[in-house]
This record gives sequence, structure tokens and C-alpha cells, in this order.
Amino acid sequence: MPRVKSLSSPFSYFITTPKQLFIVALWGSILCVLVSVTSVNATVSDEAILHKVTPSEPVVSIASTLHWQNIEKKGENQPVYFHAWGGDAQINAYIQWVAQQVKAQYQIDLQHVKLSDTSEAVSRVLAEKSANNNTQGNVDLVWINGANFSTMAEHSLLLKGWADQLPNFKLTDPENNPAVTLDFGVPTLGMESPWGQASLTFYYDQLATSTPPQNLGELLTWTKQHPGRFGYPKPPAFLGLSFLKYALVVLHQDSLTVLKDKNVDKQSGDSYQDPLYAAATSENIDEVLQPLWAFLDELHPNLWRKGKHFMQTGVEMRRLVDDTELSLAFTFSGPEIPAAVKRYDLPQSIRSYAMADGSLSNTHFVGIPYNASHAAGAQLVANFLLSPQAQAYKQQAEVWGDKTVLIASTLTASQQNLFKTQTPHPSALAFNSITRTLSEPHPSWVEAITQGWKKRYGVTP
Amino acid sequence: MQSSLHIKNLQLFRQNELLLSLNEQVNGGEILTLMGPSGSGKSSLLNWLTGALPSGFHANGEVWLNDTNITFTPAHQRHVGVLYQDALLFSHLSVAGNIAFAMPPGNKKQRLDKIEASLAQVGLKGLADRHPDNLSGGQQARVALLRVLLSEPKAILLDEPFSKLDSQLREDTRELVFEQIRYHQLPAIMVTHDHSDAEAADGKIITLSKLS
Amino acid sequence: MTEINSSKSTIQKSKQKNSQSGSQLNHSTDWFTRMVKFSPKFLLLLLIVPVFGGLIGVLLPAFGWAPALSQYDLGLQGFNALWQTSGFGRMIGLSIATGLLSTLLAFVVTLMILGAFFNSVWLDRIQQVLSPILVIPHAAAAIAVGFLIAPSGMISRLFSPWLSGWELAPNGMFPHDPYGISIILGLTLKELPFLLLMALGALAQPELGKKLRQQHKVALNLGYCPMTAFYKVVLPSLYPLLRLPLLAVLAYASSSVEMPLILGPNTPPTLAVAIMHWFNDVDLNLRIKASAGALIQLALTGGLLALWLLGEKLVKCLFCESLTNGKREYAGSYWQKVTGAITILVISFIGLALLGLVLWSIAGFWRFPSALPDSFTLLHWQSAVMQMGEPLVNTLVIGIITTLIAISLTLLCLESEQIKGKLLSRFTSLIIYIPLLVPSIAFLFGLVWIQQLIAVQVSFISYINVVIAHLLFVLPYVFLSLASSYRQLDSRFAIVAASLGTKPCKVFLKVKLPQLIAPILIAAALGLAISFGQYLPTLLAGGGRITTITTEAITLANGASRRTSAVYALMQMLLPLIGFILAWVLPKFIYKVAHR
Repeated sequence: MPRVKSLSSPFSYFITTPKQLFIVALWGSILCVLVSVTSVNATVSDEAILHKVTPSEPVVSIASTLHWQNIEKKGENQPVYFHAWGGDAQINAYIQWVAQQVKAQYQIDLQHVKLSDTSEAVSRVLAEKSANNNTQGNVDLVWINGANFSTMAEHSLLLKGWADQLPNFKLTDPENNPAVTLDFGVPTLGMESPWGQASLTFYYDQLATSTPPQNLGELLTWTKQHPGRFGYPKPPAFLGLSFLKYALVVLHQDSLTVLKDKNVDKQSGDSYQDPLYAAATSENIDEVLQPLWAFLDELHPNLWRKGKHFMQTGVEMRRLVDDTELSLAFTFSGPEIPAAVKRYDLPQSIRSYAMADGSLSNTHFVGIPYNASHAAGAQLVANFLLSPQAQAYKQQAEVWGDKTVLIASTLTASQQNLFKTQTPHPSALAFNSITRTLSEPHPSWVEAITQGWKKRYGVTP
Repeated sequence: MQSSLHIKNLQLFRQNELLLSLNEQVNGGEILTLMGPSGSGKSSLLNWLTGALPSGFHANGEVWLNDTNITFTPAHQRHVGVLYQDALLFSHLSVAGNIAFAMPPGNKKQRLDKIEASLAQVGLKGLADRHPDNLSGGQQARVALLRVLLSEPKAILLDEPFSKLDSQLREDTRELVFEQIRYHQLPAIMVTHDHSDAEAADGKIITLSKLS
Repeated sequence: MTEINSSKSTIQKSKQKNSQSGSQLNHSTDWFTRMVKFSPKFLLLLLIVPVFGGLIGVLLPAFGWAPALSQYDLGLQGFNALWQTSGFGRMIGLSIATGLLSTLLAFVVTLMILGAFFNSVWLDRIQQVLSPILVIPHAAAAIAVGFLIAPSGMISRLFSPWLSGWELAPNGMFPHDPYGISIILGLTLKELPFLLLMALGALAQPELGKKLRQQHKVALNLGYCPMTAFYKVVLPSLYPLLRLPLLAVLAYASSSVEMPLILGPNTPPTLAVAIMHWFNDVDLNLRIKASAGALIQLALTGGLLALWLLGEKLVKCLFCESLTNGKREYAGSYWQKVTGAITILVISFIGLALLGLVLWSIAGFWRFPSALPDSFTLLHWQSAVMQMGEPLVNTLVIGIITTLIAISLTLLCLESEQIKGKLLSRFTSLIIYIPLLVPSIAFLFGLVWIQQLIAVQVSFISYINVVIAHLLFVLPYVFLSLASSYRQLDSRFAIVAASLGTKPCKVFLKVKLPQLIAPILIAAALGLAISFGQYLPTLLAGGGRITTITTEAITLANGASRRTSAVYALMQMLLPLIGFILAWVLPKFIYKVAHR
């Protein structure tokens, strides 16, 4: 280091007294704090901006309108912390778009807290509850369904009875559409508002295979012919469990008659309830899951990495298809496939299809924790997520491609027009190709499958 | 056969500027003294002889040691010992360790005996296990000398070896070093500023002048 | 810590000098002097409270005392749950193997390179090539290595299909191999430049460096081949200076989560990764198990450090004899060639990894086995930059605040050394390095727990928490980087200034700091780089609410798009690089202005 040998220092050109230095330092730190504060809590102090409430539908009842106006008044200007899985750039971009919209509409500062696993948010609310933090929760809105929902509902971690009061909720035709009031068979009781719909869609690389399997049985033979070219994410990853549930539901149909005979004998005459759609019991777990384990024992040796290492997430599986390591994969949001091709994240030789023996389908929701600091703002966001504008934008393949939960018959002609699309991309799932949908089993089976899987395949021998 | 160090038609350059030219032969037991102001290329000459000419310098000419051309031999294969003005003893080794380090490998017992004997010879009896940093300057210089001699060099270079010692010590140490050089019949080249060193060496003296 | 010893003499000298002009310096009423004198205590407080508080916050739940979970029964249930976890032994084995082997490998290669190229121009060239690697955060390095060794990675593409015949990516083992080889590779490549530069830094110390180079020369004259001379003469004196960096590397390698998360297996993962998953699990009771796991991690890392020190002793005993056995040549030219080959391999490996990263970030369609993308596009950069705003601001704000605090505190502490005329106590210097030696996963969770206990409901509380957590890791490096320059500062300038009646604070600000502008800027760039790279502290102390480029990069690392993740990894490298370039250019600019 060259040393300055004279006492007239270069530093003196900038700062001549310690007092000045401290003033500079003080301002510097104030500036830094300001920047950090505004980036968390960028509330705009200008209260004078008035927002015209836009009732899109004729007023149904004065009480509910008043209720909603009250919420709009409270929710405006609030920050809303939206805890949502953040592993997909496209979905993240959509949530950013939502943030811009609610900012413009309600001055709401929507912060996307990106989770690598939704259970992180669940455990956070649970921790707050055990610490007696009942009003100042960190989570305002959370993207959930299935097991996470049932955990939160079971521990009373969710605000009740708000979702069915959202003005846009009736666009889902709730009376005739159980998909928006049942989450994996569990009634939502207004604790969560539907956001999107998904069904298990398979896709393959047609340069690598021209004859993808059309049902579970063919899948087994196909993997034997193409060892290492198929795999599924490690449970409890959502998509991995989805595949296991698909296999379970299909296999279960075959074994159901046997089970029925056996159990009806014992119970003499009572109508037999399908165990998959009721809570799992310690008595029937082994019996019901037996066919699944037998199937997996046969499947695993021909999986990616010989079933010794599993990918962490569903998105990793998509990348492995792009890497040509896998030739066949599946997703719960079919439209993400053409979107990925357009972004170069999948090759052009990808084609989507639905399995002939059925497609597992479910709805995903947003919930508000019971202790959310900004519950009103969260409801405004949830309502916006349900708006035709947001739902149509979300369904566009190049945005996210997530299927809408709105029912066309409840929409006006101009609203329906929002959903019209151009010619589908060659890699997209052909219209009406889902011939048969399979319902999600009761959420308790998820835990049973996860535990059983961990015990059998969690540690490679 | 008498040993000899022969510098043939050396031209030493810094960048492209000629520092010195030299053509000399030193026979076993003789000490060639080089004197001159700093910057005249004395140290560079020694560096060239040890095979460690720094970048920025280059040389023409050859150096022969006992009728072998060692101009392009790597430093560690030349068998040319050097004594610097600092003793440069290894502080992670004891006095005996420093000397053993320099000796050729062999029977452990014999090597130890030889170290003891030679230490006694230079008046350092019983200091074998001491740490070199705890020795006086004169003692360190003598250990450094033993280290070079017991490495069985074929020639020896002295780089202002006594300049850090005070006058009485200087004479004694010089006496010892020259005596050993003559006893082992080693060709030696000494670089010094000090005229008494040069006189005591009792050999040819070359005075370099600073060029440019 | 040896560094401190080596400069003791200079301090003692300055002490004598100080006492001559003591009248000026002993202003007991001077506020600046008082602040300076208090600063080491403040530094201790800032480090001890979070680290030891955090350890207690893990210790109590580990033995069953967790008020947050309404658990008050002291017992070993957490540990019992650990033993019953399937694959627990494998987790521990994996942590030990990856930590120990990567450190050992990095150390051995460092020594080979130093030995083969000591005192040669090649060492400088290797240093120039490798020093930029130092600023690459672990996560980015892991992503780059993952891209390289994947079955569809650059290496495999270079040999396909002309040699291998692969038209589709082969069934490979890397990354995520069950033996942790990918982790070892990633950690070794990342730590090798660090150790090498630490060694070169030690050799750059004027007195020590000169002495060692001369001794090396003496050994050459005594007939030792250069490599043997390095190992027998230079290494014994150099090693004590490498001990602390080595231990830090070992502690980090055995307990980090970034590399194993991106490159490691998951059936089961390493212990640290498993602990992180347990802490984040829905089932809060797993936190008891996680706390117990954190203690095991602590013991594991502690055990490895002890093992290393023991190994040191053993090696010393075994090779003590051979130092003086007089043997001068151990197939030196052969090893020289091997080292050359390894160096080329390491550099081309790193180069190829970086090249792959850059290509992916601008690739259009790029099907295996093409070695180059079919087309190029800026789409990925555009869409990433659009979403990068908040993480980028967070990264910069947190980094700058943390670094400012760290630099000021370090300077004040070093000044207090000079005012008191003695070095910081051994205890203080040990505490400064504690965050580098204690596995962060062991105390961060406890720290978060404490932060939640005392949490004030301020909207930016998580920012303060993150800054405090970052400070723990930034301070040691800033201190390490500034200490030697500050202590070597010629104290006579200060004495001259003081004798002219200048107040202590003015001496500090107007005499000392300007002389140190270059090292201060380097330390600042280093501090920023360390802060930018932090993953676990940001994630935990920020409660997941604060996203930085690094947390985003890791979230996306095993995600859908190699292209997006390449952009983030490059961004992660770019930020510290800009910092270092500024630190390099600014002093020149300032001098130019000053001397106009």
C-alpha cells in the first residue's frame, strides 16, 4: 500500500472536522434506515386519494355491501404479507403483477414472502399461537391446500367465515361447484378462498419417446423400456405426493372390490364407505396402502437415479426434462408447459397429455391466519385474486396458465371475453383431453403415505 | 585433482544495460574478493552463480565447477554453498537440526556424532539442542558456517558475511571461515565493502565500478 | 492469532514512544478517547450476546425446556428422537466426511501449489487467476459446479456424442450423489483459493515473507530441491499462520447448508441440512429434536477441530525426524508435474463452470449434447432484473449498514490498542473469531428464538436482526483484513501530530485513516462480499421476510430454470466483484485528486 507521507491528507478534501464527519455519518445512517423502512413499509401518507368502489354486480343485500365497504375502508393502505411458495419465476411474476394492481386499486402494499415450502408459514403461525401472539401475526395471507389446510384448520389457525362473503366468490357458482368449498374432501367453511384449479397432466419429449404410457400399467412397462427416464419428487414435496396419490387412487379401484367383500362380511350389511375418502385409521392404513408399496417396489429400480435419490421439487423435475435426463414427467398446472417452452425452459419437442385412467384434480386456495395483522387488506387481495380480470390474466399461458375457478355462466359476456385465447401452443394440453377426473383422497392419507414412504424409501440402503 | 570455479566470459545485464563483464578462475582454497559500490552488480553476480538470477536480469557466459558446466543446472543441484550477512538459521529447528538439515542423509548416530564434533571444533560444545534464536550473533554465524561446510559444497560464496558482526567478533569469525575454506580446499568468492576483509582474504581483489 | 504475536514487537516499540508524549494522549476527559477505550467492550458484547445467547437458546430446548411449546420437562427426549431417526448415522458420517475431506483436499492442493511454485512467477499468475474466485459466494459456486458435473453438464456435453455416443443425458450420479463427492468437490474448489490467498497474504508480510524466501534460498544452496525446501523450511514457519483459516474452513465445511443443499444427497442429507429442515417443519415438536441435533452438530464440529489439532501434533511427531534427515529430493520433478496438472485442472474446471453459467444465463434452446446454445437471448436477464429490485435493495442496504458498523468498530478497537499501548487481550481476539469456529446452525436458531422473545413490534425489526446476524460473520473478516495494516502503521506520524497539539480524534481521523484508505476500502469490499453471501443468517434472523440476492439464488437453485438460476448466481458474483473493483480503483482516484 502506498503510504501518504505528508500530513495534508487526501481525506481533508472531503471532511475537515470530526463534527462534519459525524454529520455525514448521521445523514448516511438516517438515509439507510429510511431506505430500509420504506422498502418494508412503503405506506403512502397521502390519504386524500379516494378510490371509487367498483361494484361489478347488482347489490344483493345491503348488509353484505356494508360489511364489504367496511373491509375496504379498513384494508386500504395496509401492507399485506402474502406467504406463498416462491420456486417458480412465472408465478412470482404474476404475484408481482397482482401487487401492482392492488397498489393502484387500494394502495395496498403486497409483499410476496417467498417460501420454499408452504409448511414454513404454517409452522410460523403455529409458533405465534404458542407464543400467545394472537393479533400481531406476521402472515396475512397464505397460499395453501390439502394437508397444510387441514393442519391449519385442525389447530384453528385460520380466520373463519370470510371467504364466502367476498363479492367475487359468487362468480365461482358455489352452490353447484363443490370444488371451491371442499379442499381434499374437507369443507372449507369460509376459511379459504379458491384461487386456481389443477389437474395432473403428463408431458413427454417426443424426440426421446414416441409412445408415452397411457395408464399406470403402461407406465410400469414404459419405465422398464426406458430405465432412468422417469421419476417423481421426494415426498412430502407436493407434486411427488400427487403422483403417489394418483397411483394409489388407480390401484385402489382394483383392490376396492376385494376390500369391500372382506369388510362387508365383518360389518354384516352396513354400506361400505370407501376408506380413501375418510380419515385413515391405524387399522386400514397397511391394507389400503399395500398395493401402492407393491407398485413402487417394482417401479423404483427403473426410476431416475435408480430410485436412490429423488428430486427435491416438481420444478426440479421440469428442469431435468429440459436437461434430457427425463423423457416423461408430470405437472399439476398443465399450462405451465407451453409457457416454459416459450421461455426456452423446455425443448420444443415437448407434448402434453392426460392419462386415460384418470387425472387427479384439486383446487388451491388462499387463507388468512386467525392472528393476521392485516386481515382486511388480505381479504381485499383475496377478492381481487378472484376477479375475472385477475383470473383471466392468470390463465394466459405466457403469464402462468393456471386454470380459473370461475364458472363461465356467472360471468357477463365481456368478462367471458377476457378468457378467450388464441390457437394453443403445440406443447399445450389439447382441449377436453381430460376424460376422467380422480378426486383427491382424504388429507389424512397424505400423512400416511408420507410416513410409509419415508420408512420404506427415505434412506437408501 | 584440484577443485576450481571458472567464470567464462560472463556479461551480466540489468534490463539491457551491461552491469559487469568477468572472466576469472578461482582454485580450491583461494578466495576471490569482489568490491564495489552498491548497484555495481555484486549481488547479482552471486545470484547468477547460485542459479537464482531474478527476473529483469540476464547473463551471457558460462560457469564451470570442477570441469562441469553448471550454467544451466538448477540451483539445488549446483553444490554451491552461500554464507549471507544474516545467519538465516531455521527457527523451527534446533542448532543440531539446522546442521543436520544440511548434511547428506546417512546413519543417524554418525551424523549426530559429526555434529557434536564439529560444534566442539568451533567452540560451541553442548549447544546442539539450543534454539538458534537464543544464540549470540557470533554463535549464529558459526552455526551458519558449519551448516554450509557440512553440506559438503564444491564451492562457497560469501555475501558480506561479517558485516553484521562487531569488530573483535568479526576478526575471529573471519579467521575461522577462511581457515575452514583453506582446510577444505574450496574455491570461494567473497563480496564485501570492508577492506580489512579483503586483505585478510589474501587473494585477488576485483573492484567493480558503478556503470552509467 | 500468531499474526498478533508477530507484530507484538512493533506495538511494544510504539508503547515506549507513546509514553514520551503521554501527556497528550492521556486526556481522561476526552470523549473520543473514552469512546475508543470502551469500544473493545462493546465489540465483545456484540459478539458474545448473540453467539452464547444463541447457544443457550438451543441448549435449553435440546434438553426439553421450551416455553414456546409449553414444554418444561427436562429430559433427553430430543436426543432419543434423534437416535430413532432413520439414517441419522449416515447424516453424521456424511457431515464428517465432506467436512474433513474437502478441507484436507483443499489444504493439500494449496500446499502442492505453494511448494511447486514458491518464489516463481507462476505463483503470482495463479494468484491472479484464483483471487476473483474468492468473492464468489458459496451458493453461486455450488450452482456453477452443479451445472458443470450434471449428466447434462458442460463436461458431459464436451464429450458427447462424438466420444460417448450419448444422444440423451446419461444416467449419472452427480450432483446429489449419496457419498457427498459433489459436496466435497464444490467445497474444495471454493476453499482452495481462500487458503491459497491466506497463505500468500501471510507470505506478503514484509518481514516474515523476506525471511522465509531467504531461508528457502539457503535450502536451495544446500542442495534441496525447491519442493522439498518448501516443505522442510517454509511450511513449518508458515503453518501457524494458516491454522486459523484452516480451522474456519473445517468448521464451515462440516456445518454449512448452502453447498449440501444444492449439491448434496437427500436420502439422507447432511446433519446441518436435516437440522434446518426440522427447525422449519410444520411439526413444532421437531424443534426439540432439531435443537438436540444442533448440539450434536456443535460436538461434531468441535470434534473435527480437535481431530485436526491432534492430526497436526501427529504429523509433527511423524515428520520431525525427516526434517533433518538430509534427504533432499522426493521425486520433486514428478510432483512438480502432477501439481502443474492439478493446477491446470482446477483452473479449467473453474473456468468451464463460469463459462457454463454465463452461457446458460443467455441461452435460448440448448438441447443436450450441443456444446453451445442454439440461440442467445437476453430474456432471462430482463425478466430477472424486473423482479430483482427488492432483493437487490435489501442486499445492498443490509450489506452497507453491516459493513459500516463493522469497519467503524474494528478501527476503534485497533485505535484502542494504540492508545492503551497493548494488544487486545487474548480473550478478545479469540472471541472475534468465535463466529467462524462455531457452526452457525448451532447458535442462529437460538438467536432467532431470543430475538422473538425481546421482539419489539417495529416494522424494520427484522432488518435490525439481520444486520446483527450478518455482523457476526462480517466482523471477523473485516478485523482480520484491517488489523495488520493498522498495526504496521508508522506510529511516528501520530506522535508528530500529537506533539503539535492535535487532539486524539483529529489524529485518528486526519492522520491515521487517510493513510489507511486503501486497506479500509479493501476491508469494506470484503465485508460487503461476506454480507452479500450470507444465507442462513438472512433466512433465519429475517424470518423469511427479507429476501436478498443470495436467498433468491438458493430458492431458485434447484428450481425449474437453469437460465434464471444462472442469472441469479452471476448477479451474486457481480455485486462483490464491483465492490472489489471500486476498492481497487478508488484509492488511485483519491490520490490523483489529492495530488493535483
